[in-house]
Amino acid sequence: MKAQKATGWALARAFSSASSASILQPSGSAFPLKTVTKANFEVSLAELRHHVRASDFVAIDLEMTGITSAPWRESFEFDRSDIRYLKVKDSADKFAVVQVGVCPFRWDSATQLFVSYPYNFYVFPRQELAGLGPREFLCQTASIDFLAKYQFDFNACIHEGISYLSREQESEAIRCLNSANDCEWLDEDSRFGIKNVKDIPSVSIADVLFTERMKNKFSEWRDGLFKEQDNEDKIQRFSEDSKQKVEVIFYKMRPALRLCGFTSHQLKLIKLVVRKHFKDLFYVSKDSGLQDMVVYTDSRDELKSLLKEVKDEQQREAEMKIQAAVGFRHVVDLLSSEQKLIVGHNCFLDIAHVYSKFIGPLPRTAEEFVSSVNKYFPYIVDTKILLNSNNMLQTRMKRSPKSLASVFSLFCPQIAVGFKSSDLSSLSSMKVEVQVNDLRSSSWNPGGKHEAGYDAFMTGCVFAQLCSLLGVNFKLDDSSQHLALSDKIRKYINLLYLSWLYGDIIDLNTGDKVADFGVHNLKRQRQNIVFENVVLIWGLPLKLKTSEVRDCITKVYGPTSVVSVYRLDETAVFVQLSKTELVSDFLSLKDTLERPGSPLLVIHPLAKLLEGGNTRAAPYDTYKEICNSPLSEVLFADQAKAVGIKWKTKLVEHKASLETAEKTEPTTLDQLRNAESHDQVSNNEIMESFCATEVNQVKTAHL
Amino acid sequence: MSLLLQRRFLCTKVHKKWKVKQVTKSNFQESLKQLETHLSNSDFVAVSMEKTGSFSASWHRVLPLDTAETAYCKARHSAERFQLLQFAVCPFSIVDSKKFIANPYNFLLFPRDDLRMGMPSYSFSCQTSYLTSMAREGFDFNACIYDGVSYLSRVQESKAKTQKGNYTPLNVNKSTSTSTTADAIFVERIKSRIKHWIKSCEKCGKSTSKDDVLLTSLRKIVMGSEMLGSRHCLTIDVCSDRQVQLILEMLVNFDNIVPLLVPGKGNTALAICLVLTKSKEDKVLFERERQKLEEEENKKLRGFREMIELISASQKPVLSHNCLDDCAFIHSKFIAPLPSEMNEFINSFRSVFSHVIDVNHMMKKFGAMGNVSSISAALSYLKNHFFTSVDVEIPDQATINEVKVDGLDALRMCYLFMKICSILKISPCVIETGNKHVAPELQGSTNVFHPWTTDSKELVDESISIWANNTRKVHCEHVVFLWGVQFRITASTLKNLLQESHGIFSGEFDVKLVDKDCAIIVFWQPGLSEAFLNAMSSDQISGLLRELVSNGLRVASYDTYRTVCRLGMWEVNLSESLDRALEKSDREFSNTYCLNDNVINLDNL
Repeated sequence: MKAQKATGWALARAFSSASSASILQPSGSAFPLKTVTKANFEVSLAELRHHVRASDFVAIDLEMTGITSAPWRESFEFDRSDIRYLKVKDSADKFAVVQVGVCPFRWDSATQLFVSYPYNFYVFPRQELAGLGPREFLCQTASIDFLAKYQFDFNACIHEGISYLSREQESEAIRCLNSANDCEWLDEDSRFGIKNVKDIPSVSIADVLFTERMKNKFSEWRDGLFKEQDNEDKIQRFSEDSKQKVEVIFYKMRPALRLCGFTSHQLKLIKLVVRKHFKDLFYVSKDSGLQDMVVYTDSRDELKSLLKEVKDEQQREAEMKIQAAVGFRHVVDLLSSEQKLIVGHNCFLDIAHVYSKFIGPLPRTAEEFVSSVNKYFPYIVDTKILLNSNNMLQTRMKRSPKSLASVFSLFCPQIAVGFKSSDLSSLSSMKVEVQVNDLRSSSWNPGGKHEAGYDAFMTGCVFAQLCSLLGVNFKLDDSSQHLALSDKIRKYINLLYLSWLYGDIIDLNTGDKVADFGVHNLKRQRQNIVFENVVLIWGLPLKLKTSEVRDCITKVYGPTSVVSVYRLDETAVFVQLSKTELVSDFLSLKDTLERPGSPLLVIHPLAKLLEGGNTRAAPYDTYKEICNSPLSEVLFADQAKAVGIKWKTKLVEHKASLETAEKTEPTTLDQLRNAESHDQVSNNEIMESFCATEVNQVKTAHL
Repeated sequence: MSLLLQRRFLCTKVHKKWKVKQVTKSNFQESLKQLETHLSNSDFVAVSMEKTGSFSASWHRVLPLDTAETAYCKARHSAERFQLLQFAVCPFSIVDSKKFIANPYNFLLFPRDDLRMGMPSYSFSCQTSYLTSMAREGFDFNACIYDGVSYLSRVQESKAKTQKGNYTPLNVNKSTSTSTTADAIFVERIKSRIKHWIKSCEKCGKSTSKDDVLLTSLRKIVMGSEMLGSRHCLTIDVCSDRQVQLILEMLVNFDNIVPLLVPGKGNTALAICLVLTKSKEDKVLFERERQKLEEEENKKLRGFREMIELISASQKPVLSHNCLDDCAFIHSKFIAPLPSEMNEFINSFRSVFSHVIDVNHMMKKFGAMGNVSSISAALSYLKNHFFTSVDVEIPDQATINEVKVDGLDALRMCYLFMKICSILKISPCVIETGNKHVAPELQGSTNVFHPWTTDSKELVDESISIWANNTRKVHCEHVVFLWGVQFRITASTLKNLLQESHGIFSGEFDVKLVDKDCAIIVFWQPGLSEAFLNAMSSDQISGLLRELVSNGLRVASYDTYRTVCRLGMWEVNLSESLDRALEKSDREFSNTYCLNDNVINLDNL
């Protein structure tokens, strides 16, 4: 094994020296990239396996069919980190991955440069196994249009994309297969493929005649089996039938008749005949009904062993099919099992997609997700984190845009255009060559932006360059040490941006949220949001401006009562109040005002807010509940309705409410509600109904 | 015999030769014009669409056991989530019972958000099986996504207009509010500014010397005077609706000025653009120009919907292969969001397309066993069972040179329709007092919004069928949904099990599986379904039935199923959905129990 590897290495060296001769000739061709579809997947996988094993790190990038399933699912300043996770989860749950770029980078100490192997996989979740239910995904129109703008080949993706099963789907498929087998072989009826005799509709004369004919034929054939000499003749005669052919074969060393050209109704009748009239004949349907035959067995035991054989064979076939359906997940399994350092650019969503598509459904909370990801991919690094990690890089970034392509051209200008031999001015810059199909090149035209393979390549180049700027010395060639353990970058490993825009970082090792340690520009330094002080209001009158919402509330609670108002979408706002008590005060005031016949409503300052009678309000946690729903209506107000929120105001308990309970005529339901509101998500539905009841009762009381 | 063979040969040959004009955004406008003339000469128009999916679980599709209402809920659910990528239209005119002239078009659609307003659709679902089968037929997804025609529904168009705003001519409405001194000053100031501007415009119109070029440009800077086409215009910034009103009122005194509103964010105006026309005639001309421009702009907004409007305006009867599904899609994508009530939908849809003939429904007259629900299956069924020859003439074949041809379905549907008519001896068009009418024999298959009914009487009494090929009907009150016995149980095992479990099952009843673990029980004797439901919820439940219930057997009435569909509880397994609905109704029951007099209000909350 080792020797084999060594020769492999030698070969690679030989190739590299051969290609280094051709470095000087700049080729005018497009960026060298290996495009992989289902046609060349097997070969490419074997090749990639080799490259990943030898690599120092692997850069990845994904293209999806969408990012957000509704405008209000975008990332907002007012999102708590658990909600940020829910939004990422929603995105990964709903959208499909259509392209995956995988690019292993290997430090070649002989030539003192990185060799990269960019792969561009077209992926499509084809329906390859029937048992798993239809596969469905969402497309965000804008994202599809965006992909089209960068000449994404949808035909290649849908016609030729590689399918996949997640680990969970695979075990589900195997479970299905096993249970189907169990059922089938337990039940005497279904063993013969007949659910019930009654299933055959009233027998026609034609059926009777056909059945009789087949019965005669089978018995003739079976009897013939014992008279060795006549055999040949009878078979000949037997197969002279017109379109329908019965061919004598041997199935597992037993004489058998292959049935060809019969309709499914006729086959059903044949099954019946065989079962009813012949104890030693047995009906076998292979390749899911493509090949039907009648097999002769001479004893009960032999029948049993035959049954077992057939069953085993079918099981094997089905398993093979499942294995084949695993498809692209083999690549992910490879990355996971090799435990290489995975490099991405702002890659939390990418990792979530990898998890949901190739491992299993995303867990409900970020903490569970993080610990689970850590098991499969112990080392992940985000180039965006590195970019923000120290002053030197920050100043270099200055005010330039932070997109991958611009970072790439800023840090790796010589690679961006494909470096020429003369261009060796900046010694600090890393050199990267590209190898595709054993052909190495060092000059190329820039590749297509937003093509996963090229994006992965860019990410890897940026990472290599950043490492070198951070002081990682590849030249020492300490291949025994995992790159992720290197002192210079160790502290950045497994930190990912939960939200890049608002500087929320999550540590995959611990699940903790980490404050952005980078040097912030002032613009990003956001105010601290106290979520307990936030009220969510939706179903607002259409023309109400955000400033008017603020005015309404400040008129009631004083000019300093509103810290900020944040627009979620055209139907909803967040209002951060100055004190936590104000939240419950506001909600109960709203509730009081909206009781039927309330004389205050017309002249009250809040009237403007409640106009139209569809205004709902709730504390911040309701936002989480609504985000957690698998539904995605375009407008937030519609979403809340679809989630099943029927109440108008969700009251909250706060310490004061119990004390002041005397004044507000407590009802038993009030206390019930207070008790209920401690319960979290699981009891939400019950809670809602309680609230609904309660509001109702209040209404009737006032009528 | 040889003739027949030859005919058959010809038939299959013909299909391969057919060509369909492919329409993308580059040739959309010209194709629309052609189609308009073809439409006016045609008798019928067949439509067929390619969708990105239809149902996510087997029970989500419209089944024989659905009432018209639940069927509509299902169709609505599907139309709201999935997208149309292709819309084939084929107007055709009938020469005689053996020949028709067809003009097939195939439009590629993509809901591109040209206005950046999240319209026509923010996102849509795709089922991979649908996409792969389209791919197998050679559908070009790149052409569709890169060059497909976009559209806006009627409702979206009006929304877009108010949001996007445009130069909209305003109506002057007299205000009744009293004017203040500030208002008066404002009006005077603007008035003098306008007078000054008109004077200078007149002056500049007279002189043509070169020196004036400089002067004009200076004037432009100083006065904000610009040219709109060949006419002078002046932009006056405004900061409130009040000012807009004042200016408009004041403009009544200026005959030749047309005011245009420059919209700002929301529903406010940023400025008023005053256009000076040369004379009364010029003013009329200008207003007409504006109207035309606006019409063009609207056309752009409507996109593909223009075609729907054309068909609607032509009032030609439409052929569809699945009336309910197709109409739900057309309504939701091109007219308005689907209403929650079926009747509302039908009324709204009929105001757009009054006659939709369901060709698949016509096929049912043959009582064909097996699956003839696709156009090709129906065609081959007719080919095997009947001898008819129908010729088709497609005039513009020579001009089409695409190699790949999509969207044959509409054309095939015309062909199928003609064959059915010819076999059933229906002449599709009846000429009556000089006007062409749809034959009365086709009325039965027109506007079939409930695929499994054969006559409209059943719509009212809510009879449902259980089996697709069985005509025996049962009132939906007499069926019960049952689940929780054993995963993947067969109908017959279940039936045997039930027979032993309780005395109610000694009568005639049937069992059919709806999906993997939920079955429907049909009691052919009235009253037994309630008896069974009562038995299930009584304390005296005993014997095997008690055993089954302890093991998780659950039952629900047809009403629960109705609730599931109405509230859109589309879980993968029907049993899951029914469970959820039961849970909900239990809760609502307890609610109504405590608040007897408030039952109705609960839903309004």
